[in-house]
Amino acid sequence: MGVGAYVAVSAALFALGVVCIIARRNILYVLMGIEMILNAANINFVAFNRFGGDGLDGRMFAIFTIILAAAEAAVALAIVLNVFHLFDSIKPSDVDLMRE
Amino acid sequence: MANAYLSGLAAIAPELVLTGTALAALVFDLVTKGRDSRRVGYLALGGLALTSLLLIGQWGEPPRTVLGMVTVDQFGNFFKLFTCASLAAVVVFVLNDRRERRHGIGEYYFLLLGAAVGVFFMVSTNNLLLLMLGLELLSLASYSLAGFHKGDRKSAEAAMKYVVFGGLSAGIMLYGISLLYGLTGTIDLAEMASADGSGHPAGLAGQLAQNPIPVAVAVVLILAGFAYKVSLVPFHFWTPDVYEGAPTPVTTFLAVGSKAAGFGALLRFVGALFVREDVQDTVRAYGERVGLLIAILAAVTMTVGNLSALRQRSLKRMLAFSSIAHAGYVMIGVAAMSAGGFEAAMYYLAAYYFMNLGAFGFLLYFEGVTSSDDIDGLKGLGWRAPLVSIAMVVFLVSLTGLPPTVGFYGKYLLFQEGVAANLIWLVVIAGLNSVISLFYYFRVVRTLFLSKPAEREVAPQPLFVGLLAALGVATVFFALYTAPLVDWARRSMDLLWASSG
Repeated sequence: MGVGAYVAVSAALFALGVVCIIARRNILYVLMGIEMILNAANINFVAFNRFGGDGLDGRMFAIFTIILAAAEAAVALAIVLNVFHLFDSIKPSDVDLMRE
Repeated sequence: MANAYLSGLAAIAPELVLTGTALAALVFDLVTKGRDSRRVGYLALGGLALTSLLLIGQWGEPPRTVLGMVTVDQFGNFFKLFTCASLAAVVVFVLNDRRERRHGIGEYYFLLLGAAVGVFFMVSTNNLLLLMLGLELLSLASYSLAGFHKGDRKSAEAAMKYVVFGGLSAGIMLYGISLLYGLTGTIDLAEMASADGSGHPAGLAGQLAQNPIPVAVAVVLILAGFAYKVSLVPFHFWTPDVYEGAPTPVTTFLAVGSKAAGFGALLRFVGALFVREDVQDTVRAYGERVGLLIAILAAVTMTVGNLSALRQRSLKRMLAFSSIAHAGYVMIGVAAMSAGGFEAAMYYLAAYYFMNLGAFGFLLYFEGVTSSDDIDGLKGLGWRAPLVSIAMVVFLVSLTGLPPTVGFYGKYLLFQEGVAANLIWLVVIAGLNSVISLFYYFRVVRTLFLSKPAEREVAPQPLFVGLLAALGVATVFFALYTAPLVDWARRSMDLLWASSG
């Protein structure tokens, strides 16, 4: 199996992530969509490292991306929890005070 | 090897001191149990002063790359000193913010200084991994800061919108980086652009010939990430809401420090990839086409920003749209894709520091007096607080781009470089936009002075008023005496030297 198959999977995952975010039904779906995009990039990094580049740049990048995703999820969930306390809802359409 | 490691650590001493200060602020607040909130601010100011001294100590040193990925050069130092200066002003703002809650002030400073550490790394590397990590450190700290007023619904909403848009754009940028890595086989921008296409993988020059569409997709995705950070249209949706909902000192940091950092990283990215001395000719030609794309973004950004600002009743929201418009002006310099254009962009950012910091400082002062950010509440304040209001008039004149202010000279430089790069249409649009901006900036001046004064007590805040007055003086002074800032921007062009690693 060549690198093309991996890129196809990651592109599909990326597209699904974007759709998930644009649909904006629920803030948790949005956060999941972001995780999907980050993992799509991870698949690319690991696959390109395996088939192309010398060294470990891609794999290193993937490991750091996993850490980034975890940190971002922690901050995002704390913010969402606070929003839930104040608005009693986690639908983006309900959390919209500032619009003119 | 050990020696190289130690000298590398010495070269990043400013970053280490800043990290130490961030931790010290957190621990100090913890130990004193929050009773000494002002002292934490002074501690932060001291740390920033020490960091700036170390940065000034690196003045004139030749560019070099340490620890395998950190490029220490004058270009990076420009943005690092800029960050220190804007953060110091933000700390003074926090100390004078009547609405700031005193509880948890240690975390507040910790997050601000942590964001600055992120900025330091993102502006001083050609390595995409370190760039991404610095950017995310800045972003994660900013998300938390935007929502720092935990009981405030607007603040919570701002944080949520920020984290959603931020996460999306970081993901998009990361995906672009992964494609670029796959195409070129390296995560170092300079290596990508200078490889002559004969090796394997073929470098950017070779890939442009073989795989033009994936290269274009990767570059556009990465630019989208930067466009979010500096809030270019169509990636600006978060900006007005986040700026309005976040605590005002945080808004100031986002509008001045974080935005300049985004420009620093963007200039580094396009500079290393398309403009550097050792870039392959085909890559340089491609860069000019990317410049055209950036020019279109710039034109749309300044127009949308200015037209939206016309309709705002809240001063805070108006300044948010104004900062979007100014990002559009700075992009003229980036679109020029030349050393001159970059210099003009950096001069304009320095001008933006004085005038926008001043405008946000006035907003904070005014919020302290009236407890609202409605422009109508400004009525007659000019007669009650003359010094601050006159300073505000200077900032607004400068934001409009009229002489004799830094805003005028900055726009002059940008327009000149735009014409030199054959972007005359863009310069015309920017000129028309400056005229539009006159309407909403002068509405504020009119409300300040041409209305009947309202009865209102204004409590004295000597340090804060002094800072605003100093910014007002600097706004005029650096326009009459432009040499220091222009020279500084010119010295910073070492990012384009082939030897800078």
